[in-house]
Amino acid sequence: MMAESFVKSATKPSLESLIRLLALLAGVALLVVGLLFPLLTMLIKSLQDRAGDFIGLANFAHYFQTPTLVNSIANSLRVALMTTGVVVGLAFLCAYGITRTCMPGKRLFRMLAILPILAPSLLPAISLVYLFGNQGFLRDLLAGQSVYGPIGIVMGMSFWIFPHALMLLTTALTNSDARLYEAADALGTPKWRTFLTITLPGVRYGLISCLFVVFTLAITDFGVPKIIGGQFSVLATDVYRQVVGQQNFQMGAVVSVILLLPAVLSFIVDRWIQRRQVAQLSARAVPWQPSPSPLRDWIFTLLCYTVAGVILLVIGTAVYASLIQFWPYNLSFTLEHYTFQGMADGGWGAWFNSLKLAFSVALVGTLVIFFNAWLIEKSEGYRPLRQGLHFMAMLPMAVPGMVLGLAYIFFFNQAGNPLNWLYSTMVILVLNTLVHFYTVCHLTSVTALKQLDPEFEAVGASLKVPFWTTFSRITLPVSLPAVLDISVYLFVNAMTTVSAVVFLYNSDTRLASVAVLHLDEAGYFASAAAMAVLIFLTSLVVKLLHAVLTHVLLNNAQRWRLVS
Amino acid sequence: MHTTMTSLLAADTPTVMTPTTSHLTIEAVTKRFGSFTALDGISLTINEGEFVCFLGPSGCGKTTLLRTIAGLAQQTAGTLIQRGEDISSLPPQARDFGIVFQSYALFPNLTVFNNVAYGLRNRRVERSHIHARVNELLALVNLTGSEKKYPAALSGGQQQRVALARALATEPGLLLLDEPLSALDARVRGHLRSQIKALQARLGVTTIMVTHDQEEALTMADRIVVMNHGVIEQVGTPAEIYHQPASAFVASFIGSMNFLEVTAQGDNQALLGTTSCACLSHTLKVGQAAQLAIRPETVALSRQAGALNGEVIGIEFLGPFQRVTLRLTDADQTLIADVPSRDSTDLCLYQGQVLGIHLPAEAARLYPAGSSQQ
Repeated sequence: MMAESFVKSATKPSLESLIRLLALLAGVALLVVGLLFPLLTMLIKSLQDRAGDFIGLANFAHYFQTPTLVNSIANSLRVALMTTGVVVGLAFLCAYGITRTCMPGKRLFRMLAILPILAPSLLPAISLVYLFGNQGFLRDLLAGQSVYGPIGIVMGMSFWIFPHALMLLTTALTNSDARLYEAADALGTPKWRTFLTITLPGVRYGLISCLFVVFTLAITDFGVPKIIGGQFSVLATDVYRQVVGQQNFQMGAVVSVILLLPAVLSFIVDRWIQRRQVAQLSARAVPWQPSPSPLRDWIFTLLCYTVAGVILLVIGTAVYASLIQFWPYNLSFTLEHYTFQGMADGGWGAWFNSLKLAFSVALVGTLVIFFNAWLIEKSEGYRPLRQGLHFMAMLPMAVPGMVLGLAYIFFFNQAGNPLNWLYSTMVILVLNTLVHFYTVCHLTSVTALKQLDPEFEAVGASLKVPFWTTFSRITLPVSLPAVLDISVYLFVNAMTTVSAVVFLYNSDTRLASVAVLHLDEAGYFASAAAMAVLIFLTSLVVKLLHAVLTHVLLNNAQRWRLVS
Repeated sequence: MHTTMTSLLAADTPTVMTPTTSHLTIEAVTKRFGSFTALDGISLTINEGEFVCFLGPSGCGKTTLLRTIAGLAQQTAGTLIQRGEDISSLPPQARDFGIVFQSYALFPNLTVFNNVAYGLRNRRVERSHIHARVNELLALVNLTGSEKKYPAALSGGQQQRVALARALATEPGLLLLDEPLSALDARVRGHLRSQIKALQARLGVTTIMVTHDQEEALTMADRIVVMNHGVIEQVGTPAEIYHQPASAFVASFIGSMNFLEVTAQGDNQALLGTTSCACLSHTLKVGQAAQLAIRPETVALSRQAGALNGEVIGIEFLGPFQRVTLRLTDADQTLIADVPSRDSTDLCLYQGQVLGIHLPAEAARLYPAGSSQQ
């Protein structure tokens, strides 16, 4: 009787759950093919010789016996730690200014501070050459030190990583509970002690998380050290040099594995912290509002706008360099560098390719990532599949672009891989970029979905409405702001990224960011600056369109949001 | 479907259902989450047109049972039969029910009209019919005129009624209500309680409501299913549940109840300290430790000393009655008696006063000692 009723109650597959299952399997397949298989292939390659025979750890032994290669580990750690110190320190002060003082022009500052994200990391490096290089107009400030090396790398990285840190710390500092500060005041606590005992502990998770994010971005960055590193080699440039320069794929794989370690480590630490951070702030917390304090407010205004000034200076330098004949000898205005004569096939083709890539990734990526997040968050059953998909969605954050790009070469360029045809097409660039920036989009989707009423799907089902109708009529429109955020994030990153795609383009699919690299390598510095500026402007326009679109949607199609 | 509804609405008298027709039969349903058993062999029959409440403390399994009926949770074992059809393994889409959640889960981006029409749109019903049907439903829940509003612009009680209209739109055979009133403030709750009950009686739709609020269950339900730790403690009408609780748990969960430690005597006697008390007949063995349950409002106090006496150690003024706490003189136990304000003047209640206590036999029930309490 018991056994019989158990058998009877086993779920019969309905059409809807079959479609759900297929969609889940498709999502899993995407990340298995686009992430797991390439990474595994790369790990195997690091244990093989050129002929493809297994040689154990011999490649690693060889690596550690080659001083020029081993030095890069220390170099990478050094610049990454210095960058982390500079960026987190500055970003903390600026975030404090935004959230905890009454400084004027907060909105303007936040807009200016976000600008570096819109540029490829190559742009600050090019600008720094103009500012502090051998012909740079500010080179005296370096007191005889060369910008080509750790100093330039730290400055360049600090520029483009700063917005990431600022956003994280602003969020952390926004979550404050006024009641704690009132209690401290009532007890006659001095300001510095309130800061140490309330403010700092309140942001500790955000701060630690920020430290690791910045460190990972710095140690895995390729663009800045490539342009301004000079003879100073770091892990990311070593991968490029081994693969593109010396065609030594095995050693490239070894360096990639080593580059993977700090990223994976900081990923694990970050996940661990995130888990502890749950519900630190109770729902009853009263947000703290700063009250004016002229001295403090003006100090922070000065600080923030100095930072904003530096950001504008760096971007302005690139724009200026792209518009003059020949620095520093002929300063007359010209648009000649925007014809990209240094490139055989013309630079505008590369820009157009980038645009195609960015739009494709924004469109496909947003839908795929959001829908996969929905499958994970809002469906019943197939628990192992959903958890597996979630785990794989978190993984790309720990994989540096250089590593992912090289892993794609290994996997998709294998003879006998049925997906070999993808190699050197636009499709592989789209897949690679989508996977590369998957995690942040996934987290944004999950956060947005978690805010929805958990019973929407159940209501839909009880009214006999198929899940895809509820998804398209309710879930998607209600999550629209997050969906738009994801798409613009993907667009900007696809526009600006260079690290992974540098291994994957061919003559037909060369991208604008790669073109910056090539123009710079070939000595066309002004054209390189012009291309970097072009990328920046494209991202800026799209970002502004996004802002306008969001505004219009909120006021018209999404009027229901404003009611409450 | 349109005409059926109209004719139902036109009828002033509640639709008469044969009470013996079973709408839903639950047979030995068990649900486990890992090693935790949320439902342990639940068997229950719900009749056509009946209003049933699942009542119990949080974590008792009542919501899990509701979700299992809806197909939103899959039972580990057991069978569900709705109107003769085995629905045990059907997905929610294939079952016949409408549901109102605690959060209402109204679609925030759709107007009230479109929320209610949500399930109709899918059925290729003519546009004019949808329109008529939605208007009819909104009239039914007193929300005519709010068609174009968004849920955020409505009060909690209004949102609740939209959710109800949406659940009823597709004319489900079974209406499931998951704590539908708990998010509302007390005044609105009392009003909606009677509204929902009247609506249910008018439409005659079989309804299951989950609640942890005993007052809600007692006032609305035809039958109450009291649950605890994944099992059914008692099924009965509100009066049965209140006056004839089947277990110490039910006795303690519904209303207030005194529990006195006693020793079972003959088939309708118990020994309280050194005093023998009469009680309803029981099946406990003579000499077995037991607890005697008696409601405070049935305890009678008098200024004359009796077989059982107690000293007043606390008096609470509660408006219509006074709650008197007494310490029994020949046993170290306390007893609560609710004295109507009218009678309390005769007693001239004061602290330290010794009063005679009478425990009416027909209101005193014996349960085994240590049986589950709240």
